[in-house]
Amino acid sequence: MMSVAPALSPRLGRTGGGTVRALFARRDVQLIPIMVVIAVVSGIANPAFLSSRVVSSLLITAMVTTLMALGQTFVMLTKGIDLSVAPILGLSAVIVGFQAQDHGLPLGLGLLLGAGIGIVLGAGNALLVSILRVPPIIATLGTFTVYGGLQFLVTNGSQVNTVPSEYTRFGVASFTVVPGVPWLLIAGVIATVVAGYVLRYTVFGRSLYAVGDDAEAAFRGGIPTTRVTFVAYVVCGFFAGLAGVIYLMRTGAADALTGTQTNENLNSIAAALIGGAALTGGRGNALGALLGSIFLSLTLSAMGIAAHIPDEWQPAGIGVLILLAVVADPRARQGTRVRSRLRKKKDGTR
Amino acid sequence: MSTISPARPWRTPVWGGILTAALIAELVWFSAINRNFFGGGAGMLSQIESFIPTGILAMGSALVILTGNIDLSVGAMAINTSVVVGAALVAHVNIYLAILLAIAVTTVIGLINGLIVTLLGIDSLLVTLATQFIASSLAVSLAGDSPPSGFPDAFITLGEGTLGPIPVIVVIFVVVSVCVALLFGRTRFGRRVALVGYNPSAAKYTGIPVTRTVIGVFTLSGVIAGIAGVVLAAYFNAGRSDSGLSLLLPAITCVVLGGVDIFGGRGRIGEVFVAVLLLGYLTQGMLNAGFSSLIASMVTGLLLIVALVIKIAVERPAGATLLGALRHRVATRVGTLVRKR
Repeated sequence: MMSVAPALSPRLGRTGGGTVRALFARRDVQLIPIMVVIAVVSGIANPAFLSSRVVSSLLITAMVTTLMALGQTFVMLTKGIDLSVAPILGLSAVIVGFQAQDHGLPLGLGLLLGAGIGIVLGAGNALLVSILRVPPIIATLGTFTVYGGLQFLVTNGSQVNTVPSEYTRFGVASFTVVPGVPWLLIAGVIATVVAGYVLRYTVFGRSLYAVGDDAEAAFRGGIPTTRVTFVAYVVCGFFAGLAGVIYLMRTGAADALTGTQTNENLNSIAAALIGGAALTGGRGNALGALLGSIFLSLTLSAMGIAAHIPDEWQPAGIGVLILLAVVADPRARQGTRVRSRLRKKKDGTR
Repeated sequence: MSTISPARPWRTPVWGGILTAALIAELVWFSAINRNFFGGGAGMLSQIESFIPTGILAMGSALVILTGNIDLSVGAMAINTSVVVGAALVAHVNIYLAILLAIAVTTVIGLINGLIVTLLGIDSLLVTLATQFIASSLAVSLAGDSPPSGFPDAFITLGEGTLGPIPVIVVIFVVVSVCVALLFGRTRFGRRVALVGYNPSAAKYTGIPVTRTVIGVFTLSGVIAGIAGVVLAAYFNAGRSDSGLSLLLPAITCVVLGGVDIFGGRGRIGEVFVAVLLLGYLTQGMLNAGFSSLIASMVTGLLLIVALVIKIAVERPAGATLLGALRHRVATRVGTLVRKR
């Protein structure tokens, strides 16, 4: 199994060689010094930024995004994209929220239910994309509205606002392991480790890279591309469903527009991209998703708390970060036919 | 010219026929269950008014999608225009100047989209995803807490007036559609758009300026989004500040439902036009019947998926027969797993 891995995807940025240069070519490694700089500068601008409370709350915010970005990474590895994660998060938050609010559903079961909802909805996407071969962007744009409508139907005009304290105490910034490290971070790290293990050391994980790198070659090489793509979307739904419960824990509330309203789609895609995933497929990893989410959360908090930029500019900030993340990655600039053509032209003239 | 243009003999627009049949069936159905719906012909035209801005956006998106790219920023650009034109009007700027100014803003955003996509070589999906949020942030911060409203009568005529029995807004939509259809079907630029979408490398080796064509298409998409935004402001008599997502999704749905290949190169503007009417009346009919707008858009999404699945099942990509595709499917299914033994 392990011996197959490098052959499947030689340019994964694995640090096997161990040279310093190889290490710093990794997006996830590059992110850390930038984050330190942002944190220090923000801390100087506004000392309150580095307080345990602010750090803890930005990490909690990042955990919702982390789960979404982990799922998005699975899908983006196969050269796909999932635009329906926001309503999946919303549906999961709403359904679990109502069960918890009205029937006192315990947290453990809530997480299971959320994950189950995510798996079912993810399977809907998977069916469309891998078996019916609808282009991912259109398929998930369609399910975005369908799941959003379902979410509206489920809420039926009411909203979740009083969930048991069992849920919300994890979302409170002061409930920490040590000051600044909320319990939810531990959950996010565990999810990242599990996803990272799957991506790096299992046949399924390696197949994802192979399919995204060159689906035709992967197919000819005996990889069940349809099945691999199918599972990728299911996994994405699973993480989005879990993220819905985490969202519920963080905010204690959910309504018909939860997820969609806060641009969770954009957040998850941005975090995955910042973490080194690429729309062109075959690149990205779990650690990148975690660090990308924290980076995103940190930058947005810094914009608001340290630089005093009004909240309405947050989406613009994410937009700029997406562009920067892609511009900073020369390997991401290939893919659609027009662009690869342009690239050839440039290479030819030089 | 005819020697280098792709062979495009007259094909019966099967998909257009299906769409038209569906549209007629839909109109008959709504007229049957709601006597006020038909309203003597002109009343029926006014039913679709609120959907017109989306329809105009669809025309711009269609051009972009025909080149094999996608523009997710059209909704936000339209929102942006509605706020800019609103703010300008409230500040008593001359109407024509205000409209020009607002359209100029989106034209520049469209141009920037095109430049980033072509010169930096970044996927248009990402570029426009980013500019979508930048544009909507601009709009929201410009609008502040209360979006501009209360415009001069001359401007409102644009949204609420009629030309004879026909609403002005519908006339604008038809004019934009005809212009786009002529541009795509009858000009050199249009032919280039199709070629770039159909096969960019072939287009390049035939000597087609691919970069310029793509930039042109994104700029045009900006211009058309600007027009849509002006119409939007005139129709609602207010600037609107939100993410523009409620405009974007149906616009793309119209294009895809209108049979435009999402990978570019194939499509007919006429069919997109019919798809706009089909979706517009469906949405309005559902709203009239008392459904929530979220449910209406849910049905839109379902329709999009069903239409695509049908279309993909019927029209296999070039070279792949239905049988071949099925065989591929089965081969994939039984393909040996790369599994640790």
